Amino acid sequence: MSGTLLAEVLTGGVRGGTSILFAALGETICERAGVVNLGTEGNMLMGAMTGYAVASITGNTWVGVAAGAAAGGALALLHAYFVLNRRTNQLATGLVLLFLALGVTSLFGVAYVKADIDAFQPVAVPGLSSLPFLGEIFFEQTVLTYLAYALVPALWWLLFRSRWGVVLRAAGERSEVLATYGYRVKPVQYLAVVAGGCLGGLGGAQLSTAYTNAWFENMTQGRGFIAVAVVIFAGRHPIKVAGGSLLFGAALALAPALQARGYSVNQFALDAVPYLLTIVVLVLLGKRESAQPPEGLQKVFEGSAVT
Amino acid sequence: MTTLLDPDAVEATAPAAPAPDGATAASPPPTAAPSPWSARLVGLGRTAAALGGALVVFAVFMKAKGADPVAAYREMLSSVTSWKQVGEILIRGTPIILAALAVSVPARAGLINVGGEGQLVIGGVAAAGVALGLGDTASPVLVTVLMILAAALAGAAWSALAAVLRVYVDINESVTTLLMNYLAVDLMLYLIYDAWKDRNGSGQPATPALPVADRLPLVGQSRIHAGIVIALVLAVLVYVLFKKTSFGFRLAVVGGNPEAAHRAGLRVGLLLIGAMALGGALAGIGGYAQLAGTEFKLRPGFLVGYGYVGFLASWLARHKPLGVVGAALLLSAVVIGGDSLQLESNLPAASVNVLMGLLLLAVFGFSTKRKAVAA
Amino acid sequence: MSSRTPRPSRALIALAGLAMVAGACGSNQTPAEKAASGSGGSTPATGAGAPGAGSTKVGFIFVGPKDDYGYNQAAYQGSQAVKAGVPGIEVLTAENVPETDEAVRVMEQMIDKGAKIIFATSYGHLDPATKVAAAHPDVVVVQQGNLIKGTVASNMGTYFGTVYEPVYLAGIAAGKATKSNKLGYVYAFPIPQTIANINSFELGAKSVNKDAKTYVVNTSNWCDPAKQAEAAKSLISQGVDVITQHQDCTSTVTKEAESAGISVVGYHADASTLAPKGWLTGSEWKWDDLYVDIVKTAKDGKFPGSKYNANYRVGYKTGTNPFVQSKYGPSVSDDTKALIEKAKKEISGADGSPFKGPIKAQDGSELFPAGVPADYATIEDKNKAFVEGVVGDMPKMN
Repeated sequence: MSGTLLAEVLTGGVRGGTSILFAALGETICERAGVVNLGTEGNMLMGAMTGYAVASITGNTWVGVAAGAAAGGALALLHAYFVLNRRTNQLATGLVLLFLALGVTSLFGVAYVKADIDAFQPVAVPGLSSLPFLGEIFFEQTVLTYLAYALVPALWWLLFRSRWGVVLRAAGERSEVLATYGYRVKPVQYLAVVAGGCLGGLGGAQLSTAYTNAWFENMTQGRGFIAVAVVIFAGRHPIKVAGGSLLFGAALALAPALQARGYSVNQFALDAVPYLLTIVVLVLLGKRESAQPPEGLQKVFEGSAVT
Repeated sequence: MTTLLDPDAVEATAPAAPAPDGATAASPPPTAAPSPWSARLVGLGRTAAALGGALVVFAVFMKAKGADPVAAYREMLSSVTSWKQVGEILIRGTPIILAALAVSVPARAGLINVGGEGQLVIGGVAAAGVALGLGDTASPVLVTVLMILAAALAGAAWSALAAVLRVYVDINESVTTLLMNYLAVDLMLYLIYDAWKDRNGSGQPATPALPVADRLPLVGQSRIHAGIVIALVLAVLVYVLFKKTSFGFRLAVVGGNPEAAHRAGLRVGLLLIGAMALGGALAGIGGYAQLAGTEFKLRPGFLVGYGYVGFLASWLARHKPLGVVGAALLLSAVVIGGDSLQLESNLPAASVNVLMGLLLLAVFGFSTKRKAVAA
Repeated sequence: MSSRTPRPSRALIALAGLAMVAGACGSNQTPAEKAASGSGGSTPATGAGAPGAGSTKVGFIFVGPKDDYGYNQAAYQGSQAVKAGVPGIEVLTAENVPETDEAVRVMEQMIDKGAKIIFATSYGHLDPATKVAAAHPDVVVVQQGNLIKGTVASNMGTYFGTVYEPVYLAGIAAGKATKSNKLGYVYAFPIPQTIANINSFELGAKSVNKDAKTYVVNTSNWCDPAKQAEAAKSLISQGVDVITQHQDCTSTVTKEAESAGISVVGYHADASTLAPKGWLTGSEWKWDDLYVDIVKTAKDGKFPGSKYNANYRVGYKTGTNPFVQSKYGPSVSDDTKALIEKAKKEISGADGSPFKGPIKAQDGSELFPAGVPADYATIEDKNKAFVEGVVGDMPKMN
């Protein structure tokens, strides 16, 4: 049962990185369309609470997960409305929606803290799970993790190989060109933001229905912010986002794995590892072309003296 | 003196493309003349209506949770209007004002500082470190001066790192400042639980209490400490900086159009780093004020959440230094009024987050008339 | 550098003016410190003028949400017992109150609303509670779980059960149940209360199984279910087959153990329904009687000088421990139950204690010398290192 430290940390990284991966893939779509959602944490909270609550009410965890995704999407719809129609600042709006989500999920989630659900359990993939080393890491996970695996290439294809992706990226990159081809930019962006929110909700639902089998207020504990950082760190590329999420998950899994083996560790130093790591990688990637945000997004990040 | 200017960085920070659809970008700064009074009245009316709408929505929430909205609002109002509670608003508002100014100054130059949270904490840590290191070997005045300096420097260095990375490596500062919030808290927790732990204290980990002589004086017999005075003075100074100094003018030029600023011979990189460092210094002083004014010890919950509220306060006031004071105190009042939602109306603690979210959305989204369609 | 100097404008003048105002102000000394440096306490008055006397309202502050299926929920239930058990009393509650100066504000608000008895229910609420108590000599402030050092003001006190006693008994159940001789403990932060629990658990296990070792993993958070899940999984992958915890929210670790098919020892609340197979036993809070008695004592004007006007600890030796053993799970044998009963008698006796020396720390130094420690408060105070048999490290505490 006791595997190597590396295998265990990577297994934990995949397990713990899944919720971050979902949310980060969602944020990738959103940012590719030129909108940043700093409130990804809020989408995750909505998904975690709704997913758990609905799973317990209906007795069907899949229905819960779907509801969680929808709840994340609903919050994102608000984000889209405010930033696209009301032209509010994107970063500030995301943060406000996080406060709102913290409050709403706590108010309505209280009733489900003691509820029970039929949580997702790990399922070994026949054949693949017996691969040496990789099998235990990647193919003895829950089905939601497999769904996340599938989403990575699917999103890559969608963004870079499909017509839809061209339109989406144009909305974030060169919206005036898009307009000359007769596309309306705003519906594309709406769709991207809401899809991103749904994935954030899915990430939250993974946290509550597959990873922890519980709902508590504020249970995401900053993982949504991490997802936003991962997206930027990965240059908004789905494959790299997957790598970044795994790295982050592994960094989080390192502390318990070391401690359980009786190693002497400084818990606070280890807690800092994921954040330091992200900054270091950002510095190393530095000025590479791929790290550059879409043009529409640059303007958001530049901010402005006046809203 | 070497120039810190890096032309590449300036290129990267200056997209020449005109704002297209515009839907994604913050709307351009209106270089408008002061609006006439009638327009201001209309604006006030819109804001009031928006706030009213938020209160109505929240009333529905309260009703859904079985509370009486009218009674709850009455209690909330009465709980923020006593002198004692006004004092509490000022106490809580002090670090928020400074954290908000820490957003406003970089924003003037077009930078987004999401790191007020960490800069507050690191300021508190530096101040506590000075007090611990000097003990009673120095006079209280000297200790106080050094604490403020250390807090300001620590906050400045912490934030400037993000600006340096932005200027030289082109990493977006909003991400680095955000990540560094977590690092600041980890550092503080390490110090509290380990290196700086008060070995004679109760089991609860904390640093030793600041000696009485090193604390900020109180205003009269109240709990209000002089930190609010520092915050107000600094807000006025930032106002003066923006309006009256050439530094402030240059920041605005860089914020408006970095490329033009560069062509005009401004050291854009240096200005960006300076703006961020100044912001961080303000937040650092906020950390000092909280430590020396009311907490006296670093503890695990020290200033948690204040930085993010400050971020929102700055946006609420559109980064105008004097407006920031009002916005910070307003948000502080909402939280303090929110206590009564628990005590009187038996609503969960999280209700106040809903109220705050609704009020902010209302003001951000509906207080000014915005063109819904631009392109 | 720019050679232009900014004009020393109105702002500086304002600064000077404000500085003068500030200079005229009082020194920032908490009333508690003034009392400590002053001539000493007045003689405690009892009766109608006593602190808390005749109070019609009592306030409770909780550090977390009152529905956490754990520590705060237990305290909240206690507060509701006060409402039911003390005629004519109104109960004010506030959740998510941080362990900082913000707690002062919330308690002050309760006092403004008429509360003359305040329960500050989290370990870290002691400093704010002390501030409030010193500012309001007419209000009784009691704090749950921490220790007041030095003189105890006549309107203050701390109270707690001896948590480590039932944890010791649970350790016996764990020591008998384990086959791998590896027990797991998921904790949050190394505070003395937690360390006493971990030590007691290991000592209990070791008393019936000399090879039992307790592996510890911390989460640096009182309630981060994802970290708890990872901590539990790491322990389980190392062959731990009995797991327990010291967290505020407890369901994740319990469910994790159950689905891995190992045994679990509960904490804070009876979670046996979450682990119908693996549940061994546990410890849970029953605050009702103690809270009611404290409120009644204060309301009757009898608080000063009472047993609650001190670091009040009640355990098996001295009365009814509010931290009670949870019910047994199906796998616990009668033999084990008998061993636990026997141990309970022993540690309840005059010369019994989970920390009956000599007990060595991890590094071989002596933590408790031979003999029974003087009292409960001493025991809590001295638990600053892990005992032999605990595997893992923590920040230094001394």
